[in-house]
Amino acid sequence: MEERKTALQKTLDTIKKAIMDNPIYKSVFRTGYPNTILKQMSVMRSSFYMHIFPTKVGEHGLKLRYSWCMGGITFFLFLLLSVTGLLLMFYYVPEENRAFNDMKDLRFMVPFGVILRNMHRWAAHGMVFTVMLHMARVFYTGSYKVPRQLNWVVGAILLLLTLMLSFTGYLLPWDQLGFWAVTVGTNMAAATPVLGYEGPFQNLLNVQIDNDIRFALIGGTRIGANALIRAYVWHCVALPLIATLLMVFHFWRIRKDGFSGPL
Amino acid sequence: MEEVKTEKSGYMLMNKPGYPRVSSWPNLVWVILLMMLLITVFFWCVSFLAYAPLEEMSEWAKTPNPAKAPWYFIGLQELLVYFDPWIAGVMLPNQILIGLILIPYVDISPNEQGTYDFSRRRFAVAFFTFGMVFWFLLITTGQLLRGPSWQVYWPIIDYDLGSAHWVREGVPLKEAGAKLKSLPLSVGLASLGIFAVGGMTLPVLVAKNLDSEKTRGVP
Repeated sequence: MEERKTALQKTLDTIKKAIMDNPIYKSVFRTGYPNTILKQMSVMRSSFYMHIFPTKVGEHGLKLRYSWCMGGITFFLFLLLSVTGLLLMFYYVPEENRAFNDMKDLRFMVPFGVILRNMHRWAAHGMVFTVMLHMARVFYTGSYKVPRQLNWVVGAILLLLTLMLSFTGYLLPWDQLGFWAVTVGTNMAAATPVLGYEGPFQNLLNVQIDNDIRFALIGGTRIGANALIRAYVWHCVALPLIATLLMVFHFWRIRKDGFSGPL
Repeated sequence: MEEVKTEKSGYMLMNKPGYPRVSSWPNLVWVILLMMLLITVFFWCVSFLAYAPLEEMSEWAKTPNPAKAPWYFIGLQELLVYFDPWIAGVMLPNQILIGLILIPYVDISPNEQGTYDFSRRRFAVAFFTFGMVFWFLLITTGQLLRGPSWQVYWPIIDYDLGSAHWVREGVPLKEAGAKLKSLPLSVGLASLGIFAVGGMTLPVLVAKNLDSEKTRGVP
């Protein structure tokens, strides 16, 4: 028994060595198993995915009761939403007569379609909530103070973008809920001073219902096919791109300033 | 912010000698992995238990009563009860956003960071907490306590948001919606002004009383 075990052990060791010495393995996992501090630092630095993280972190910022992990969760939800959103795009056509039927198809016909849409929906609500909590955490720990003022500003814009992302997505199912919610929301734009046809000083630029800011948002005098395609393009292309660029800056700034902690 | 330090690494905790640090692998990486798994599993389970809402197909001629904005904007819709649309729907949200952006530049309370100890920034924390609580109070009121015609309803009264009973066919949103009696325009303008002037000057005034603190403030 004892001998057999060593035999097994030997075989495993041989296999392990064969894998570890394999040039393909070596080209992917360049530092080997990170069992020493030097290798642990090197694995963070030499990996493409890991290099957005520092090689060493302050013990203070690591604690969950300090950071609530909210920024990270928000970013992960963004990734989750990107993946589920991309998959939804295979099945959804933003056309007045098809959009709602595609929703029904996702629910009843598409394999796992219902899970896909549910996850996208709940994660979107979750992201709005976690981004608010992240802002609260950053405020309460005073992390917006010197030298992180600019990053707070970027964060506030990202909060706005998150709300806009969620809002544009609200219309896409083309059901009564989204349709009227977006009607209510965009009607507020009509009340913009100077630029909205129902706002004060609208006479200054001779703004009418068919050339005001609300018209520019929804591409018509009421929510219709044009509003749907506009919401779709903003939701799936423009806003995620802008948000991604700002996130890249946000994270780069965190790397430069380090995790916040007591001075 | 004349006291901003320019020396490199002046504020970067990481570079301070003796600051306790650990390697990111595995200390940070495993937290991230665990969180990713937990969040995925959490939303997976939620998605099994609760359907994403989907009502009947949108119809221009059927206005639901009430027509509600998404929950995160419902606070603004609730404000429509009290102010004219251009104040509640345009000026106030813009003011909130600009106010948020300006926080680091107007808050001159001591540079106390990295802790939940509020003893030296009581005013700033109270100010922010007031805003957050007010925001979620408005959301709760709008989401749970408002029924048809935007009247106050208890959440236990079950009315179906999109059902035919509350839908008014052929009636445009404006007529189907709430009959709101906004406060006079002067009150709205005055509150905008008070928020703007107060928000920009109060931190300075409060900080003046903390002169000794201020010198300690920005290190």
